Amino acid sequence: MKRNEIIIVAILLIGSFWAFTLDDNNRYRNETYTPCELVDLTAKADKFITPDELAKRIMNNDPSIVLIDLREKKEFEIYSLPNAINIPIKNLLDDQFNPVLNQNTYTNVFFSNSSDLASKAWMICTRMGFKNNYILQGGLNLWAENILRPTAPKQTAVNAEFVKYNFRRAASAYFVGSSVVDENNGNNGNNENKTAAPAPASKKKKDAAGGGCN
Amino acid sequence: MGPLFPLNLIGEETNLIIGFFIGIGFGFLLEAAGFTNTRKLAGVFYGYDFVVLKVFFSAAITAGIGIYLLSYYGYLDVKEIYYPQTFWIPTLIGGFIMALGFIIGGFCPGTSICAAATGKVDAIIFVGGAIVGVFFYSVTFDAIWAPIRDSGAMGKVNIASWMGISQGLFLFLLTIIAVMAFFAVTIIQKRVTSKRDYKL
Amino acid sequence: MERRKQYMNPYLAGFLIGLFMIAAYFFSGEGLGASGSLKSVVVAGVNVIAPNYAKEATFYKSYVEKPDSLPIKTWLVFEVLGVIVGAIISATIAGRLGSEIGKPPHITNKTRLIAAGVGGVFFGIGSQLGRGCTSGMVMSGMGVLSLSGFIGLIAIFGGGYMIAYFFRKLWI
Repeated sequence: MKRNEIIIVAILLIGSFWAFTLDDNNRYRNETYTPCELVDLTAKADKFITPDELAKRIMNNDPSIVLIDLREKKEFEIYSLPNAINIPIKNLLDDQFNPVLNQNTYTNVFFSNSSDLASKAWMICTRMGFKNNYILQGGLNLWAENILRPTAPKQTAVNAEFVKYNFRRAASAYFVGSSVVDENNGNNGNNENKTAAPAPASKKKKDAAGGGCN
Repeated sequence: MGPLFPLNLIGEETNLIIGFFIGIGFGFLLEAAGFTNTRKLAGVFYGYDFVVLKVFFSAAITAGIGIYLLSYYGYLDVKEIYYPQTFWIPTLIGGFIMALGFIIGGFCPGTSICAAATGKVDAIIFVGGAIVGVFFYSVTFDAIWAPIRDSGAMGKVNIASWMGISQGLFLFLLTIIAVMAFFAVTIIQKRVTSKRDYKL
Repeated sequence: MERRKQYMNPYLAGFLIGLFMIAAYFFSGEGLGASGSLKSVVVAGVNVIAPNYAKEATFYKSYVEKPDSLPIKTWLVFEVLGVIVGAIISATIAGRLGSEIGKPPHITNKTRLIAAGVGGVFFGIGSQLGRGCTSGMVMSGMGVLSLSGFIGLIAIFGGGYMIAYFFRKLWI
């Protein structure tokens, strides 16, 4: 080997040995999650949002909530939550949805019929380093059970149960009512809301992360 | 601190100009290393010239170590840079199709652009073919490719954490393997070229 | 032509390319690439020739919908313009500039050109399906230790060794 070849190989070996001596866990925090950290994150309970909590935030017109329906387009068209956007789970990482998912401004709530698609999507998005993602607990099934068709608690139940029931009845009126209004309004205004994705928080960042050579 | 452009530390025009100059360096080095010579490129598959492997691995390892160290000491935010997402099925299938293109055509897109710029007629034809290929892909996208393209999605996966080892260890092992490969291919190349004269 | 300089030492060239790759990531957050620019050319071309088709077809939609991302003014296109200039500079210095067909002696020009065209088509398709080519996906992907870069490496080079035997007549 020639002299400059030896020098370059030596630089690479020393450099990689230097990297080897560093501990990933101590580093400046800016990587995607390691499997261990992902498990820790998954174990935390706050990735779920209950139907009650979600209903409350929607009724309060919380502008930061973005509802993401992970089912197929057909199912989405038959029924979904008001103003939800449809991202079928197989298209989750498509470039066009990157601005919706990769952001710091909005609270994304994933849902499907139950919560398993939403859990998958949450896992993928968290691994991607996307923030502010939540799973609708129990999915649309629990939503329908709790919010759309609430059942009265037994007479012997504690007071809090009644407070919750009354809230759910109000929510039921709100959502069932609003979907009736939706139908009356026809497709004009509503469709736009359904498909409009939130504006990306910062354009340039998105381009860099989503660009490259493909 | 870095990357400068995605964190809005430099403007868009500056960024494009920097891209242009980085491209000059890249193109210069590709040409200087002999990547415009299609026989040198194909040599890696037939054992008479391993310049592709040598350049490729030293570049990837240099960048890997450099980027790791920069990010470790907080100079580069890896979340903000282009980080290819892993879709293992289309990558594998696309890779095999590219392998066919490499063996038959004798170039890859980067080297063909360099070679075309320096006047190699076959490279100009290759670039034309690649444009036709992209166009073919685009018109048959819905019919053939759409279902494959997004299958096997795994998100942004770091190979070291995927293997369950530290990134530093991975880089170190990769470097050792590469250095051993450098020695091995030098020996292979000597043997192959001693049997027959591959004048390039 | 009369005085051809030697090629640069491959390890040194690789090391310097690695440094440029780090610079690309540090300044612009981008990897070095090539096939992306070919796509930009196709998208821009189709957008000019058949704008209505570009608005409808799935492949083009995401590129032409955003008006500010007209695909020709991108980092990658500028980078590739640089690649062209850089290659010409190096070839001029080394005396390698000039029109010729690179091929083994026993292959006719016609065969070589047809093979180059066919190979190009394959590479064009593969690079789109695989989200990048040898430089943009494999080399840059390996630089950031992305799993996809290593899968691409195995697919391209492993696949190449698997089929090399069947196409040996083209090269040796």
